[in-house]
Amino acid sequence: MPLELLHSSLRKGRYFCLSFVLASVAALPVTVAADETCMSPYMAKIVGQEDYVYVWTLGSEGVGDEQDKLVTVDVNPASPSYGKVINSLSVGGRNEAHHSGLTDDRHYLWAGGLDTNKIFIFDVHTDPARPTLYKTIDNFVKSSGGVVGPHTTYALPGRMMLTGLSNDKDHGGRTALVEYTNTGDYVATHWMPTDQDLGGAVKTGNFADGYGYDVRALPRRNVMITSSFTGWNNYMMNLGKLMGDPEAMKRFGNTVVVWDLHTRKPKKIFDVPGAPLEIRCAWGPHNDYCFTTTALTSKIWLIYEDDDGEWQAKAVADIGDATKIPLPVDISISADDSLLWVDTWNDGMARLFDISDPFKPVEIQQTKIGAQINMTSQSWDGKRVYFTSSLLANWDKVEAPEGEDLQYFKSYTWDGKKLHHEFTIDFLAENLGLPHQMRFGAYSLYGKNHPNVAASGVDGGNANSGGH
Amino acid sequence: MPEAGEASKRRVRTTLTRLLLLLLLASMSGNPLLADPAEPADVQVLAPGWNEIEFEPPEAGSYQLPPIGMAGNGQVLSPDGEETTLHTLMGDKVVVLSFIYSSCSDANGCPLATHVLEKLQDQLLEDPSQGKGVRFISLSFDPVQDTPEVMKRYGRPYISGDFDWHFLTTSGPHELEPILESYGQSIVRDPNAEEGEAGSISHILRVFLVDRHLRIRNIFSASYLHADTMLNDILTLQMEPLQAHALQGPGDDKDGYETREYQTRAQSLERRKGVPASLWSSEFEPPLGLPPIPTPAGNPLTQEKIDLGRLLFFDRRLSHNNTFSCAMCHVPEQGFTSNELAMAVGIEGRTVRRNSPTIYNVAYLERLFHDGRESSLEQQIWGPLLAHNEMGNPSVGLVMEQIRSIPGYPPRFEQAFPGQVISMETLGQALSSYQRVLVSANSAFDRWYYGEEEDAMTAEQRAGFQLFTGGAGCSGCHLVGTEWALFTDNQLHNTGIGYQRSMSKTPESTRVQIAPGEMITVRGDIVADASEPRPNDLGLYEITEDPDDRWKYRTPTLRNIALTAPYMHDGSLSSLEDVIAFYNRGGIDNELRDPLIRPLGLNDAEVAQLLAFLEALTGDNVDTLVADAFTVPVGNTGSY
Repeated sequence: MPLELLHSSLRKGRYFCLSFVLASVAALPVTVAADETCMSPYMAKIVGQEDYVYVWTLGSEGVGDEQDKLVTVDVNPASPSYGKVINSLSVGGRNEAHHSGLTDDRHYLWAGGLDTNKIFIFDVHTDPARPTLYKTIDNFVKSSGGVVGPHTTYALPGRMMLTGLSNDKDHGGRTALVEYTNTGDYVATHWMPTDQDLGGAVKTGNFADGYGYDVRALPRRNVMITSSFTGWNNYMMNLGKLMGDPEAMKRFGNTVVVWDLHTRKPKKIFDVPGAPLEIRCAWGPHNDYCFTTTALTSKIWLIYEDDDGEWQAKAVADIGDATKIPLPVDISISADDSLLWVDTWNDGMARLFDISDPFKPVEIQQTKIGAQINMTSQSWDGKRVYFTSSLLANWDKVEAPEGEDLQYFKSYTWDGKKLHHEFTIDFLAENLGLPHQMRFGAYSLYGKNHPNVAASGVDGGNANSGGH
Repeated sequence: MPEAGEASKRRVRTTLTRLLLLLLLASMSGNPLLADPAEPADVQVLAPGWNEIEFEPPEAGSYQLPPIGMAGNGQVLSPDGEETTLHTLMGDKVVVLSFIYSSCSDANGCPLATHVLEKLQDQLLEDPSQGKGVRFISLSFDPVQDTPEVMKRYGRPYISGDFDWHFLTTSGPHELEPILESYGQSIVRDPNAEEGEAGSISHILRVFLVDRHLRIRNIFSASYLHADTMLNDILTLQMEPLQAHALQGPGDDKDGYETREYQTRAQSLERRKGVPASLWSSEFEPPLGLPPIPTPAGNPLTQEKIDLGRLLFFDRRLSHNNTFSCAMCHVPEQGFTSNELAMAVGIEGRTVRRNSPTIYNVAYLERLFHDGRESSLEQQIWGPLLAHNEMGNPSVGLVMEQIRSIPGYPPRFEQAFPGQVISMETLGQALSSYQRVLVSANSAFDRWYYGEEEDAMTAEQRAGFQLFTGGAGCSGCHLVGTEWALFTDNQLHNTGIGYQRSMSKTPESTRVQIAPGEMITVRGDIVADASEPRPNDLGLYEITEDPDDRWKYRTPTLRNIALTAPYMHDGSLSSLEDVIAFYNRGGIDNELRDPLIRPLGLNDAEVAQLLAFLEALTGDNVDTLVADAFTVPVGNTGSY
């Protein structure tokens, strides 16, 4: 069965994952790793060669035009401008650019600013090589009722679910989820459960701090899962200053919340101490679990549904040596749920864990990528892996040891055993800024042909399979 | 539940009372105090509270009772003659407060109130889960005649079983008057009363319903007072979710975070609602312990300026990128400072090298900023507004343009400054006016020292005061005067904290908390890698360039000090215990350490006494000021 664009299977709703898995098992090599699996299950997927990577980039004082921008990198090896920055769209201000997320139809890319709370909505479908700014939401704080720090922008059907990190009363960690329509109209605010107002949730341990960070959905089990980080006062503060401030160091999240996806009501609050960050859910139709890692305590946690249908949380592995503050940040799960990439920011390592037994992850590989590392994204067919370096403007390192890259976009290929370096773009040398979230673009998503690449079938070309 | 016998006895007594009253009323024609002399003497109509209610009272929980104000406090005497305060009897239960006097003879006056309360008590006792959460307070406004003994006798027949009903009085007019004023109970005494007797007292009958957060939720007068509606109001309050957002302390309480047993006590932001208060009036009197508010001649206080300044204080659009207001560093429930940061963080996360000082009582400071470089509140605002690492505005003009472009401001500026343009001057005058009225005193210390109330401070606190002004020498800089106390000499001193920060080497390792009860030791180079160069701070020297002024910082006021952790100009001391231990050691020795600072040799008991004393310096109105601050809308892009 040939690789097919799965856009149309969106309509099958929750059967989407199942049909995809059936289709892919027949056609693909055994190990299939994909960043596309990190995205919302409601979303269309690129299954062949991605054409572009959109890098949401922080402006940095003294670097180029010093403002946030969306940088387009050509990543199609068949393209004449492969490996180059072909577009850069500056949006004005240093907003603390951080994460971005596509709408379910992949027409728009929502990119948030954790400081100014502006949300930039880019049109990436009209001309994938040249995104334009469709709309800027500048009243997020007022509309949401005081939420600060739009972090994750996650696709739901026709809507976007955003996580906050902070609030406009005290710039601390208490925050909420905020829902918007795909075209940028406010819908609702869902406050994270606190001791004073659990919202009907069960507090299973000692903590109900009301903090937030990431959100992922597992539609087949009707759950949404959120994690918890810290408020504006800490994520905007210089990291060294923060580590030296004992009061501030008490202001990190220690909870993971499982929500009823349909009703948007919190169900259960778990103690997950040490700032659980990114969440990735498994794809297998019977794999009712998600992974998260704790940045400060450096562990992998499993959030899973047990045999009695109850959701539980358990620490399942250590990541590196916690006393060195490796700071695990971005993670990425493979489509067959067998592998988990974990990037540790402080030592610049991309670590690979075998998670075929989710309760016993085992580290099987480590690759030094740069002086620091944050995000990781993989191509659909698993053969290509990309990394970027920036975490937060005032946390990022400012100097790198000789021979190590400080602020970069790097492209690797993965052969099942080793990462092979393909190319690096030095974002400081290019006067662009600090690169952060990556999202893929492809002409095939919109039924278009790449203007500079001949359509050539499955391998290396675009994946518009037309009538296959 | 009252026994059947008791209940029937009371019904008989009630009926008799009514008959007596009717007879009394019939005989009262011609009494100049009770009947309008111009009208023919008539039988007085009984208030509805005496009878069955003539309408269906709305169902409990089907309506809201928005807060009307904060319930005032005051010194009162229990029937056993023990001194206590009104607030001590509030907060744990819903309270019904009425003002009476025992010799009242107006049927629609005190007897009405007491009768209705009796009926209400019966109804509440029918369901213990309701009854247990309610307290009645009947307070006399005749301290001359109504001694505690009299109130005890008066009240005994009304109290049923163990129902929580207090019949209180005061020790004299000096204690009574402030209470009456705060509840709007103006009274008119009989000018023809015999010497030593109160005679009749005229007042507007008001009964107050107070919730568990000391907020007045309803007020009943004679025409409205009825047990059935009051019962439903009480039930409505009891149905409310348990708490409003706490008025003191950051939103999630991190006490005990160093231990594995730590539990969160996080507050809900949706419940962070308050009650507007009148912060000032033209008859404003400073609270006990403070002199009149110093106000510059060119900027007298007016209500309009204060209201405008209050709005501006919470407006994040006054910063270059719309993220910072004054209140982001001076958070109301965090002592108008920040309890969560040692040193502040400004726009775009830029480092501020000093701790945010409190706004409480800032009116009394002669030197502003930790290095005392500014003397006028009106001018001080431009420091934070223009500082690159605070609110980051590139120019004065841009701040003015921003304000002019927000539709809500021009009309308010016109109201506060008629005929004047929105200017640097008027902006400073508005913001400083709000800050000026954040005065707070009448603490336990003030009542003991200036109010001569012997029991206002505990024995331990009094011992602490002896040390404070004696062996520990604190009052050498934290001055206490004969008529009022600012607790600051408005001077700058070197304690050694600044010296240590500038002169000590970078530590080889740092203890870092990574989770509740989990600390790790992080190598110095890892921390150094993550750090920007540490900003130096030379204190007053930076202003005067006099080497004798190195590392001198301003003496802060100690009023409300329990609310403003962490301490010192760099927030390096987390708790008051740490501060006392610091001074007990003699601060940090250096060539310029102030001669008043020396090792004190205090033992543990003495340290505890000093600590207790410092905790007695919290003003009695902090809840009111914070509850008021909660009601101010936060200005964001898209707001008014």
